[in-house]
Amino acid sequence: MSVLADMQSRMHAALIDPHADPAAQALFAHDGRLGAAGGLAIYQRGYFLRIAACMREQFPALCHALGRALFDDFVADYIRDCPPERHTLYDLGRRFADWMEARRPDGDAPEAWVDFMIDLARFEYAAFTMFDAEGNEGNVFATSDTADSALRLQPAFALGRYRFPVASYYHAVRRGEAPLLPAPEPCHVALVRRDYITRTVPLSAPHYTFLAAMLAGSDVDAALARISARFGIDPMMARDMWCGAAGSRERWIEWGLFVAVDAGPVKDI
Amino acid sequence: MPVAAADGKLAGLPRLGLGLGLRNVHFDAILSGEPQDLWFEAISENFMDSGGRPRAILHAVAERYPVVLHGVSLSIGSTDPLDRAYLASLKRLAQDIRPAWVSDHLCWTGVNGHNSHDLLPMPLTEESLAHVAARVRQVQELLERPLILENPSSYVRFAQSTLSEPDFLRALAEETGCGLLLDVNNVYVSCFNAGSDPIAYLDAFPCERVVQMHLAGHQDFGTHVIDTHDRPVRAEVWELFRIAWARTGGAATLLEWDDHIPGFDDCLAELRKAERYMAGDTVSSGAAECVRGGDGVSNPVGFLIPRAMASVMEDAA
Ligand SMILES: [Fe+2]
Repeated sequence: MSVLADMQSRMHAALIDPHADPAAQALFAHDGRLGAAGGLAIYQRGYFLRIAACMREQFPALCHALGRALFDDFVADYIRDCPPERHTLYDLGRRFADWMEARRPDGDAPEAWVDFMIDLARFEYAAFTMFDAEGNEGNVFATSDTADSALRLQPAFALGRYRFPVASYYHAVRRGEAPLLPAPEPCHVALVRRDYITRTVPLSAPHYTFLAAMLAGSDVDAALARISARFGIDPMMARDMWCGAAGSRERWIEWGLFVAVDAGPVKDI
Repeated sequence: MPVAAADGKLAGLPRLGLGLGLRNVHFDAILSGEPQDLWFEAISENFMDSGGRPRAILHAVAERYPVVLHGVSLSIGSTDPLDRAYLASLKRLAQDIRPAWVSDHLCWTGVNGHNSHDLLPMPLTEESLAHVAARVRQVQELLERPLILENPSSYVRFAQSTLSEPDFLRALAEETGCGLLLDVNNVYVSCFNAGSDPIAYLDAFPCERVVQMHLAGHQDFGTHVIDTHDRPVRAEVWELFRIAWARTGGAATLLEWDDHIPGFDDCLAELRKAERYMAGDTVSSGAAECVRGGDGVSNPVGFLIPRAMASVMEDAA
């Protein structure tokens, strides 16, 4: 290893774990107002505080749920185990939920609140990435006149399935409320962005299955057949959930879930 | 890119006048107001991989104003291999936005595959100089334009350093044809902390290679100062600006503000103070504005995030 590489490795290791190598300050000149240890301490402190501030912005609801001090403790452990890799700060939270899952603070005796924190972290990161994901702004969306066979999901779309109502908890925190930890309750949601506004759409289990099928490439007919088979719903009823008087078709089109592809002849719905 | 070609391109870069760092809290004010004599500097990483509103905003700003791209993660000094994916993404952004130039810092941001999200200082040695010069040449080749490198603010100096920062940058510029971004606040911060003389730093600095200057505020802790970008420019820094700007022959000048960011008009008012010093006014002692508070974290990296994140929740479908 070159002298330069060795110096960089040592300085970086001293940022990740300030206690690992007490002799790291020997890298630096001792004159100057801060001295070697004082100067290094500024980088060490800044490293953690900068990343923690950014993580609080990516996970505002989780920070609310845990309280700032505990959240910061989690972040400190997280970045020691998983130091940031990519050039973008947006990537900081990518591995957070998986890390919490692997390093559950409740160990072998699972506690519900930990499940909630993990699910909330997953939802928050999904919502956060949707804000800057590749989207359909500037292009044409499907309209209510688009044939079912031509409907496809747009790129800024994601599905999530959780053990707790994490989406409503998240939005309550974003509105400035102080929600209490919710009881377990299965929760399916879609995230979709149109005109740079990210919309959270709560879903029933059949709706979730329908959209999951479309996300995997099915068209509407195939996705409807899937929920009929999966939930034992009569095909007519399934179609009614889709495009009946109270069906989701109109609203989902209005919210920008779909684009139109050229898919052969137009058929009546 | 041969040195002569880079030199030629440098000489052709425009004198942009006064500009502001593009920050998300100002997006609406910038795009709704009357166009004015101004330019913007965008943090490259905040827009490089953006498929959302930030990229659309940058497009709209670039249609109305000159824009330059300022990076914080090129890591030109790192001993890790150059990040080809990063450079390809930066090049795509540059092809899209057509900035007047592309800059980053004389620093390294990480090593061993990790990113510290800080601008870490280089040991200023002949080994570093050869290493950085080789990488600057590669980057210039790839981006097909001269790279503009900034002096970072620093809190340590490597015991092994044998060159001064001005000498290092001068040699680097001569060997590669790169341009320089002189941040006079960083000069003040680094020199104060090192106990050295900022005027002597400017005297040694190759001002003829300076394409752009930075102004910013720092926080004074008495024993040391930190480059916080969270307050007005201090009198000592205006004085360095007055001296250096004249020596650069009128380099483009930009105000950076990254934390506790005031409204757009207040930032503009702070920026326009530069006109006095460009006209040669000396700094009056009353010019120092002392602002207390803040958590003293150096702030080299502008983040966008939630204030630009609009969201709604629908009732059950
Ligand atoms: Fe700067």
